[in-house]
Amino acid sequence: MGIGAMTRGAGALVSLALSAGTIAHPAAACPTAEQGFRRLASPEAEIAYRWAPPALKAGQFFTAEVVTCRTRWGEAVHDIKIDAAMPAHGHGMNYRPSAVAIAPGHYRFTGLMLHMPGTWRITIDLLQGGRHTRLTHEVDLSP
Amino acid sequence: MKQRVLPSAVAALMLAGAAVLAAGPEQAVTFSADERAAILAHGPWPPPRHPDPSNRVSGNRDAISLGRRLFFDTRLSLDGRQSCATCHDPATAFADGKPRGIGRALVDRNAIALANLGLNRWFGWAGAADSLWAQSIHPIVDVKELGLTAEQLRDRLAAAPAIAAAYTHLFQAAVAHDAAERVLVNAAKALAAFQETIVTGRTPFDDFRDALERSDTRSMAHYPRPAQRGLAIFVGKGNCTACHFGPNFTSGEFEDVGVPHFAEQGRVDAGRHGGIAALRASPFNLLSPYSDNADKAAGVPTRHVEQQHRNWGEFRVPSLRNVARTAPYMHNGSLATLQDVVRHYSELNEERLHGHAGRRLLRPLRLTPQEAADLVAFLETLSGEISFGP
Repeated sequence: MGIGAMTRGAGALVSLALSAGTIAHPAAACPTAEQGFRRLASPEAEIAYRWAPPALKAGQFFTAEVVTCRTRWGEAVHDIKIDAAMPAHGHGMNYRPSAVAIAPGHYRFTGLMLHMPGTWRITIDLLQGGRHTRLTHEVDLSP
Repeated sequence: MKQRVLPSAVAALMLAGAAVLAAGPEQAVTFSADERAAILAHGPWPPPRHPDPSNRVSGNRDAISLGRRLFFDTRLSLDGRQSCATCHDPATAFADGKPRGIGRALVDRNAIALANLGLNRWFGWAGAADSLWAQSIHPIVDVKELGLTAEQLRDRLAAAPAIAAAYTHLFQAAVAHDAAERVLVNAAKALAAFQETIVTGRTPFDDFRDALERSDTRSMAHYPRPAQRGLAIFVGKGNCTACHFGPNFTSGEFEDVGVPHFAEQGRVDAGRHGGIAALRASPFNLLSPYSDNADKAAGVPTRHVEQQHRNWGEFRVPSLRNVARTAPYMHNGSLATLQDVVRHYSELNEERLHGHAGRRLLRPLRLTPQEAADLVAFLETLSGEISFGP
């Protein structure tokens, strides 16, 4: 789903700039489930991601690794953003994550924390030239 | 794609279906699988405790001893009449029983009871401090509380031979010749080492929770039936676990719960919004050279916390452990009893909330008198003995 179609005006999602500035990398080899990664795909793109620690818990900080595996237009990803919000409550996180590129097409985000039990929607935005691609993942956190 | 995250042990228990407690003279209390999981997540207690990586004397016996001495020492106040214990009295669960603290003057907020502080991420009602030692600096230098300057603190500690000797032993520096700001930080770190030892023991709820985990219905039946019903409200209809979850019954974060936030007529208490501003401006935060955490990993929350408009009117979600012993309640001590607190949430004034209408977390609970009494009965089972060292 493109970024223009998502939650604009809801006040829940804050666009996050990479602390390291613009990062331009081509898609990378896609890591496997054996490496602890899951896949998230849309017609426009496919990524692999994993959390550390792997099981998310309400109120605990975690890091996210994201690998861009496929992009539709074959252009390099020059920016990547991650955010999370609780659609039912209309609020986002209390923290602004930052990212570093640790290899071509491979990013690590720090400063993520889901501070309340319930359903969170995690969004990952890929920016390629003038195109935005949004991938979403929902997670239910028990108290 | 949707991922459901449950602890594996909890998930295994859920397979057994809803819990039904042993039948007694009253109707049995039942818990759904989700409620049962939520109950189990409030333990076990006590949790593992770890030294504070930002405080090199955390857990140090000599530091605990020095910190205890300083905690009760009125030399830490300008006029020699107050100590930390003035507002955090062991006789009143390390609080003071007053709506708002009174040091050298009336302060804006309630004196938070001190217990289980090693579990906190943020300190103070607004989270203006990111460590217990940084928080401990605030009352020493606040003109409304103890009111000393760093230089005055250094001079007073240097003039007390036993304290000066303990300081030198602990920090490998003569207090009289140490930089005043460094003395302030070191004294606060010793105070923090002592305060970390203030912990609450097991409670009737913890016994029930553990019995539930074991499916020990005989032991579960010892837990008073009103408390069982109140617990069911707490994890069910009341949705209290949205903010009060985990072994310490708190998210450790900040919420607007509709308590007026005027410190006085015409003056707003900025709450978390102001707390974040103060945190960032503090020379003592976890990103500062005073943090003993070499790689500053402990400073991740400080580095990433984001000041947002909704932080106005937000205050820290307090732990509910020992809540029955720490009246009055809320950041301004405006609610005198637990009954008042339950009534506040039951009859919530939504006009006072800042959240988006229609998407608010909080709604009036509309509890019946029996439900309100049961919820209070549950909260009263969260009290345990307080211990502190050395």
